[in-house]
Amino acid sequence: MRSIMPTPRPRYSAAALLRARFSGRFWKPLWQRAQAKDHYDVLIVGAGGHGLSTAYHLARDHGIKRIAIVEKNILGYGNVARNTTIVRSNYLLPENHYFYEDSLRRYENLSRVLNYNVMYSPRGVVDLANSDDEMMVLARRGNAMRLAGIDAELLDRPGLARFAPELDPYLPRRYPIMGGLLQRRAGTVRHDAVAWGYARAAAALGVDIIEHCEVQGLTMQGGIATGVETNLGPIRADRIVFAVAGHTGAIGTMLGVPLPVETHLLQAMVSEPIKPLIGSVLIYMYGHAEVYITQSDRGGLVMGGALDGIPSYTREPAWHRLEEIVQSAVALLPQLAGIKILRHWAGTNDQTMDGSPLIDRLKHDNVFLNGGWCYGGFKAIPASGAACARLVATGTAPDLIRHFRLSRFASGHMIDEKGAGPYPVRQ
Amino acid sequence: MSLFTCPFCGPRNLEEFSFHKTLPNVAGGEFEKIYLRRDTPALSDEHWQHRYGCRAWLRVRRNPSSGEVLEVELLTGTAT
Repeated sequence: MRSIMPTPRPRYSAAALLRARFSGRFWKPLWQRAQAKDHYDVLIVGAGGHGLSTAYHLARDHGIKRIAIVEKNILGYGNVARNTTIVRSNYLLPENHYFYEDSLRRYENLSRVLNYNVMYSPRGVVDLANSDDEMMVLARRGNAMRLAGIDAELLDRPGLARFAPELDPYLPRRYPIMGGLLQRRAGTVRHDAVAWGYARAAAALGVDIIEHCEVQGLTMQGGIATGVETNLGPIRADRIVFAVAGHTGAIGTMLGVPLPVETHLLQAMVSEPIKPLIGSVLIYMYGHAEVYITQSDRGGLVMGGALDGIPSYTREPAWHRLEEIVQSAVALLPQLAGIKILRHWAGTNDQTMDGSPLIDRLKHDNVFLNGGWCYGGFKAIPASGAACARLVATGTAPDLIRHFRLSRFASGHMIDEKGAGPYPVRQ
Repeated sequence: MSLFTCPFCGPRNLEEFSFHKTLPNVAGGEFEKIYLRRDTPALSDEHWQHRYGCRAWLRVRRNPSSGEVLEVELLTGTAT
């Protein structure tokens, strides 16, 4: 009988694959299920992308030994499993583009760093413009990126026709395609692999991953949090990190802290597999509707659009939004008209009042929040984990995330990428 | 498909209405009113408009965990 005791994890390599082919004794669970111990240095709530990457960096970069991640469901069940796998750093505001660029650079090397193939595919992300005015807006964003050393290319119609031949920009459309802003290093990353890769690497560094463990409250002593109450009993911890994207608002309510957050649904869908058609990520916004579309390695077209537009915890996507997204997809690529949708789902987003994330202390000195990711959660995972770990380990937020503090709303330093004002549904 | 009962038009399809913002539910001044919310998964008071109907501004009470609409009435007082 094969042992399931923890052993030094085998490194993945071509030679290891070959050995495994003949011995059959190579494949083991990527991480071991752990029992909660009595006390931890850092306890992380939420085994999603941000929680896992924070745990990994705490263990690797800061040498913290006793770390646990508790998860009320199963690992990687929330938004890390529900996003559309896009990574990019094409933001206008410096607070955002430096942070997301740090993340994109980490994604470029992530497979090597984690020794786990996350299938980073720099296929390019293009924002499409449907008027000359929009071309100006895209040029402004591209220039802001280039000033920060981030790659951006403004494509005119012929340039776009060369880059994305499947998308005939000369085709008469109600909202014509005039050109686009391309970031070539942006693209897609296999989302589940990110969760599994971080979980494997964190577990190898001694992090306890405890599933089906729901936090019900904090235990307090003298104004300091001393641990959490869970359905599996109390767990003591010196520091507690909430990384519960989609339920950040509920955590605020649990702790009695009002937060600048509304909880909304964002939906996505995938079509039946077809032969290779779309070689990049296309983002088409016109009027009030939008669609972004990419093709998975299996051939399915992965699509998404705007928020459902109603505060909700149901994870049940609204049908009228589905209709709008597929209509937009057909308006963009008429050749998709006969394709069938295979699956359709939604995730809950913490939509903040300025559309930017929240990484800060929460109410107590030793309680931290990593949330408010709005649309940008998946692409932020590597940078968020590294920066959040530094905040938790040293008590000081690195420059990359200092502006994501909660007090920015009171001091008037909102990071409102869209200039939409304090309306979470428009962010 | 959810139905909203507009005080003027009666039961109408959700698609005719547009959500604007959750209503303030935290004590304090203007800042709290605009920026901070107590997020309660079972109850949400919201500011809507019957946008593609009579265009009335509405106060809607819903359960965001089930999607159930509990109450729809005309919004009075100052909008936020």
